[in-house]
Amino acid sequence: MSGNAALVHDLALESYGFGGDHPFNPLRIRLTFELCEALGLLEGYPFVGSEPATEDDLRSVHSLTYVRMVERAGRGVGDPLDLMHYGLGTGDNPIFPGMHDACARVVGAVLEACRLVMRGEAAHAMCISGGLHHALRSKASGFCVYNDAGVAIARLKEGYPGIRIAYVDTDAHHGDGVQWMFYDDPNVLTVSMHESGRYLFPGTGAIDERGRDGGVGYSVNVPLEPYTGDDSWISCFETVVPEVLHAFEPDLILSQNGCDGHALDPLTHLLATTRLYEHVPRRIHELAHELCEGRWVATGGGGYDIWRVVPRVWTALWAVVSHQDLPEKVPVDWLMILGKRSPVELPVLMRDDPAGYPPTVRDAEIADHNHRTTEALLENVLALIQQGAPR
Amino acid sequence: MLLVRDSMTRDVVTLSPQTTAAEALALCREKRIRHLPVMEGGRLVGMVSDRDLRSATPALGDPARAEALQEIRAEGVMTRDVLSAHPEDPIEQAANTMREEKIGCLPVIEGDELVGILTSSDVLEALVFLIGAHEPGSRVEVVMPDRPGTLAGVAGLFGELGINIVSVVAGPRQETPDAGPREGRIGTFKVDTIDPRVAVEVLEQAGYEVLWPP
Repeated sequence: MSGNAALVHDLALESYGFGGDHPFNPLRIRLTFELCEALGLLEGYPFVGSEPATEDDLRSVHSLTYVRMVERAGRGVGDPLDLMHYGLGTGDNPIFPGMHDACARVVGAVLEACRLVMRGEAAHAMCISGGLHHALRSKASGFCVYNDAGVAIARLKEGYPGIRIAYVDTDAHHGDGVQWMFYDDPNVLTVSMHESGRYLFPGTGAIDERGRDGGVGYSVNVPLEPYTGDDSWISCFETVVPEVLHAFEPDLILSQNGCDGHALDPLTHLLATTRLYEHVPRRIHELAHELCEGRWVATGGGGYDIWRVVPRVWTALWAVVSHQDLPEKVPVDWLMILGKRSPVELPVLMRDDPAGYPPTVRDAEIADHNHRTTEALLENVLALIQQGAPR
Repeated sequence: MLLVRDSMTRDVVTLSPQTTAAEALALCREKRIRHLPVMEGGRLVGMVSDRDLRSATPALGDPARAEALQEIRAEGVMTRDVLSAHPEDPIEQAANTMREEKIGCLPVIEGDELVGILTSSDVLEALVFLIGAHEPGSRVEVVMPDRPGTLAGVAGLFGELGINIVSVVAGPRQETPDAGPREGRIGTFKVDTIDPRVAVEVLEQAGYEVLWPP
C-alpha cells in the first residue's frame, strides 16, 4: 500500500473566511500546516498550487444567478434583501470583499486535487480548505458558499464518462448540499455520518433519505445520537462504510473530513476524540487501495475548536494521506509560539488521552440506538447498491 | 397547508360495488394505496381498505383463495357508514378525527361529490412541511411563560440577531411521569443558522429557559 501523495494548497486559499469572531476561521488551516511543518511532515511535499474554478466549473452545480449574486456581493453591490434570499449576508455567511474569488479558489483547489489523482500523478491528494458541503445550488448555507465537492464530482463525471464516485462525509453535520446535488444519480454514492438532524443543523440526513428515481439507494445517511463517542461511531462506520463501498465499487473516493464531532467542538454534541479521526482516514485509505487503486482525495470541512482539535486532527489526516507515521508529541516549538496566542491551554500529545474522555452513563443506550440505526439503514440500501453494481 | 384541500390527494382511485376483491387488491398493489372509495351513481357509498380485503379472503396458499378473490365484491366488505371531511376543514380537525376513530383515511366530500381523499401519509406530509423539515436549520427549544407576548419576545430576539425563523411550533409542555404537569409553553424554533450559540446566550440573558441546545 503506497503511492505518492499531493498536498494542494496556497496562501490565497486562506482568504476564505468571514472575519471577526466568525467561527469559520482560516487560521485553523495555517495552524495545521505550521504543526505539520514543525513535525517535519511536509518535507518532500511542496504545496501544489491551483487555479480558481471557472464560471463553467461553478455552473456545473450552481445556478448562474447565484454565481452572479456572489460576485456582486463580493464587490459590495447588490440589494441586501435580494442577497439574503441567496443566503448571502446572513449571520452564518457574511459578505466579505472578494468573496467570489476566494470561494472559487477553494473549489479550484479541490478540482486540482481530483485531477492529480485521476491522471495518476498522485495516488492520494489532500486539500483541507475544501469540504464546504452545505452550499446549495442557489444558496449559501452553513458557512459554505460554493460546493467544492459538488463541482469536483460534476466535472469528473464530464471528464470521465461512466465514472463512479463515492463521497464519504464524517463531518458532524449532514452533508446535505452534496447529497441533494446527486440525489438521483446512481454513479455517485454519498455517505454521510453525522449528529442526528433532530438535534443539529441542517436538520436533514435521516436514514430514509436514500435517493430519488434511479438514484434510490445511493444516498446513505447514518444519523448518530447526540453524545456519541469514539466506540459507537467507529462501530457504526465499520458496519456501514466498508459494506456499502464494496457493494458500490467506486473509481474514486472523495472524503470530507470535518472534525467538528470532537468532544471539544463548540457547535455540536458529539464526543469523538482523535482516535476516531485517525481511524476514519486509515480505513478510507485501505478501502481506496482495495477498491480503486488507491484513488482518494481528502478534504477538510467543519471543525471549530481551531486550537486544540483541528491542527492535530488534520495533521493526522495528512500523515495517513502521505504514508508517514504520526509522532506522539506536539513539538515544543509549535507549543511555545502558539501557546502564547491561544486562548486555551494546548494539548501536548498528538493523540487525545482516553483518560480525559471518560465514558458517559448513557453510552450503552446510545450505542444500542446507533446500532439499530445502522441495521435499519443497511436493510434499506445495501441490496439496491448491490443490484446496481457494475461488472 | 392548514386546510384539508391543501393536503388531500385529488386523483382518487375508486371502485364500484361490483368490483372483485382480486381487482381491488391488484389496484392497491399497482398504485401503492391502501384505501379505496366505493362509488355508485356518482355518490360515495362505502370505503374499502386493503386490510378489509385481506381479512375477508382466505390466506395466501389456501386453495380456496383464487375462487374467493373472484367471488367477493367490494359491496360485501366495504364500510358503509363512512366518516368524511370537507375541503375547507382545518387539517388538525381531520387529523383529530382520524386519531380518535383510529382510521387511516377520510374521503373528502364537497356537496355530494367526492373531491379527494386525505390519508395519514398526507397529514404527515403536511406536518413535515409545517415544521420546515425540508429546509436547513438548527433546532432551538425554549420554555415560554404562558402569558401574552412571550412568543413575540423570543421571535423578536432572533430577529434582532438577523436570524431567520424557518418554522415555529408552540404548544403546552407535555406532562412527564416524574414531573407531572408543568408551567409554561414550549416553543420549538427551527432557525436558519448553523451556529445558534449567540441566540441561546441572548435568550438566556432575557430570562428564557433554553432546553435545546444544551
